[in-house]
Amino acid sequence: MKKFLKKLLSINSKKQIPSNTKPTKAEEIEMKEISFETVKDEIKRIFGNTADLKADDVLVGKSEAIIFYLDTVINTDFLKDMLGQTLESPVEQDFKITSEEELRAFGKKAFGVSGYKLINTISEMTETILEGRIAVVIKGIPAALTISFINSEGRTVSEPTTQTVVRGPKDAFVEDISTNINLIRKRIKNHNLQFEKFKVGNETRTSVYVGSIKGVVNEKILEEVRKRIKDINISAVFESANIEELIQDKSATVFPLALNTERPDSVCSALLDGKIAIITDGTPFILLVPAVLTDFFISSEDNYQNYFMSSFIRMIRYLSFMIGLLMPSAYVGVLTFHPELLPTTLLLSVIAQREGVPFPAVIEVFIMEITFEILREAGVRMPRAVGQTVSIVGALVIGQAAAEAGIISNIMVIIVAITAIANFVFPNYSFANASRLIRFVLIIVASILGLYGVLLVLIFMVAHLSSLRSFGVPYLAPVAPFIVEDQKDIFIRTPIWFQNKRPAYLSPSSTDKQKPQGSPSPPKQTKGGSGD
Amino acid sequence: MLKENISLSQLITLVINFLLGSAIVVGVGLEAKRDAWMVVIAGFFIGILIMSAYYFLLSLQPGKNLFEIMEICFSRPVAVVMSLVYICYFLYIACRVIRDFGELISAAILPLTPIEVTVVLPVLVIGYILYMGIEVLGRTSEIFTPYTFAFMLLLFIFLYGSGNIELDNLQPVASTGFMPILKAIIPSISVFPFGELIAFTVVLADVTNFKYSRKVSLMGVAIASFLLLLSVFLIVTSLGENIALRSNFPLLSAARLVSIGEFIERIDALVVFIIMLGILIKSSVFIYGGLKGLEYVFNKPYRFFSIPVACIVSIFAVFISNDFADHIKEGLYVDIFILHLPLEYGFPILVLATLLFKKWRKDRGSGKEAKA
Repeated sequence: MKKFLKKLLSINSKKQIPSNTKPTKAEEIEMKEISFETVKDEIKRIFGNTADLKADDVLVGKSEAIIFYLDTVINTDFLKDMLGQTLESPVEQDFKITSEEELRAFGKKAFGVSGYKLINTISEMTETILEGRIAVVIKGIPAALTISFINSEGRTVSEPTTQTVVRGPKDAFVEDISTNINLIRKRIKNHNLQFEKFKVGNETRTSVYVGSIKGVVNEKILEEVRKRIKDINISAVFESANIEELIQDKSATVFPLALNTERPDSVCSALLDGKIAIITDGTPFILLVPAVLTDFFISSEDNYQNYFMSSFIRMIRYLSFMIGLLMPSAYVGVLTFHPELLPTTLLLSVIAQREGVPFPAVIEVFIMEITFEILREAGVRMPRAVGQTVSIVGALVIGQAAAEAGIISNIMVIIVAITAIANFVFPNYSFANASRLIRFVLIIVASILGLYGVLLVLIFMVAHLSSLRSFGVPYLAPVAPFIVEDQKDIFIRTPIWFQNKRPAYLSPSSTDKQKPQGSPSPPKQTKGGSGD
Repeated sequence: MLKENISLSQLITLVINFLLGSAIVVGVGLEAKRDAWMVVIAGFFIGILIMSAYYFLLSLQPGKNLFEIMEICFSRPVAVVMSLVYICYFLYIACRVIRDFGELISAAILPLTPIEVTVVLPVLVIGYILYMGIEVLGRTSEIFTPYTFAFMLLLFIFLYGSGNIELDNLQPVASTGFMPILKAIIPSISVFPFGELIAFTVVLADVTNFKYSRKVSLMGVAIASFLLLLSVFLIVTSLGENIALRSNFPLLSAARLVSIGEFIERIDALVVFIIMLGILIKSSVFIYGGLKGLEYVFNKPYRFFSIPVACIVSIFAVFISNDFADHIKEGLYVDIFILHLPLEYGFPILVLATLLFKKWRKDRGSGKEAKA
């Protein structure tokens, strides 16, 4: 059966690809094996009939040369300048490059130490051209000089769109990877902050940087991250989510096992805690691993506010997680199975409101929750121009018309509204999505088994959560396994001068963040000294 | 097989939930009527004693569980036979615990749902937890324990606040003499729940810091005894001895009395959920004991057995007795003498004696060699 299928597939694939459009492959040909005249043909053969590949004959000094580049990738203005100033410069016209050493010296002189690179094979040359460099091949020299002319046009650094704060840095990552690393480097001026480069994606060859602080990060976890990124075998990477999916410990889960953020300050504080940042080219979202559940409840603004307030807000977040998860199912469960739990007057008012409603509670909840999910999805996907319409229609449908028509009760509107708003409290969007899914499971179970079923699902969920690991770190750490020292920044935020240790669940190489110190206090008055 | 470990804090929560488990459902020491609190206090000392004894047994062969120790004491065939006995015993108690709970659910919150349904779901959750391993059980228990504490405390405050606690219900002390109290201590409370700590002869072998686990597990016994004492105190003072003795689920009946400001009323459905966590942990620990036994007998990782065994437990939890009265009677009059006393006290003492004898002979032998 399998063989048959394979055969079928192979026949199909043969039919679909006519022989003249077969993908070409850059072979490992050394530059010295190939003559100056044939380089052009070889490169043209590799790139096929793409319109943006340019191969121009130029003179470098007195030597004949060809330059190769993709004019869509490089900055052509720079190229024009360079051609005028250095390569065909009238001042230094009378030099001639005859050997690799001279080429190297020329590169160093003309483009600075880091601007040029010498390469020796055709496949390397192909890759560098794709990266946005130009390749200069000079007659009689078995090497090519490549110069970076990358056209780094893109969005400029702007305010974050998903993780906003009232007080705190207002810059966010962009799509360009070097800008992103620059944003991190600007905040942590430390030579121990290191970025390792990987190429991921067989077709896209996307750059992925793994950033960590040496001496802080746990080397074992770092090694595991390296290994997993090297093991990735996928054709394309467009977003860090692609990478997240390929490196997480367990894929059969709705919970995110890596934290994603577009805030440079979040990344920096995580790096200093001993976490590892995975930065993908082409996306503003940076992955932070290992992630634990409590990370998703922490906003970077917690550290920029009064710690009493931050602690309170953190409590609100945990509470709203429970509300967002449990409110609709508790409504169904209580109304269907345990009406005695409600105080009599409340019960009477709920029942009076539900009097004309033609559906059982569970159907009512489902109608409203699904409607809300539809509205929400519409709100994200719709063209900006029609946004107003959807929100007005949505508010009217959800809020007023349905209740007035007697299809649903008013209390249901309240419950859906509270649930929805509670779900938006999370600092991290991907975690809110997990609770959205579980909510529906809970509603179904509550309609069959009441609160008993809800609790069973919750226990199941907690068991599942405690079986999860993110790069070997238990997902529920530092709550289960319970670590006393780490409780300073979990449910409440203690003052910064009190948080002197890095999280122990990451087992960082050095545990001390800063020297233990006391609370800041006014200068002590000497004995007997009276105030003015 | 990867060695799994549970931490000390997980151990303590396991011990606490384990002891509360079904004991809090059916009530302990209520045979002694208003003197039940004395029974629980005596039970605490017995619990300390027996936990120390089990720890001592395991500390003679660190890292080995009951089944492996039996092999050291006797030969493998004997150990396999005795393991099978213990496996059946553990699974049987797990069935009984689940049945207690199933009865509670059908009596208190889901009267129309067949007991087969209410029983099979928690057992499947247990099967999943144990499939994930003892670590997951430890962490789950760690997460939920604070809620158990909080609920117990709230119940106390609510009962006190609604004026249901009448200390007069505790008087007079020992009005019918000490015999009923003694009878409730030995054998009742010393086999249920404290004797059931035998299951920890399997779990203790998985603790990271075995050195400290004695202190920690004894602390767990102490905290659990305190909570049991609190529950018994609440039951007797709020219900009075007669209702307490006749009620099937005394703590539930006590919770029904709560009424504060005509807002917090009928919280018995919530009490069921405190109980549920204890039940879940208790039967998980017993099933884990059974699974470890199967692992020893068949030399296969215990995970393979977890789901099938969960199915068996859920079926037998239903088949085990005809109705609740039958179920309770079996527990009170049959199990104690046929199962609990020999397997919780008799056989472990035999194992301990054999181990000590072997050790003594070995010490003497090596002493002689050293002399020669």
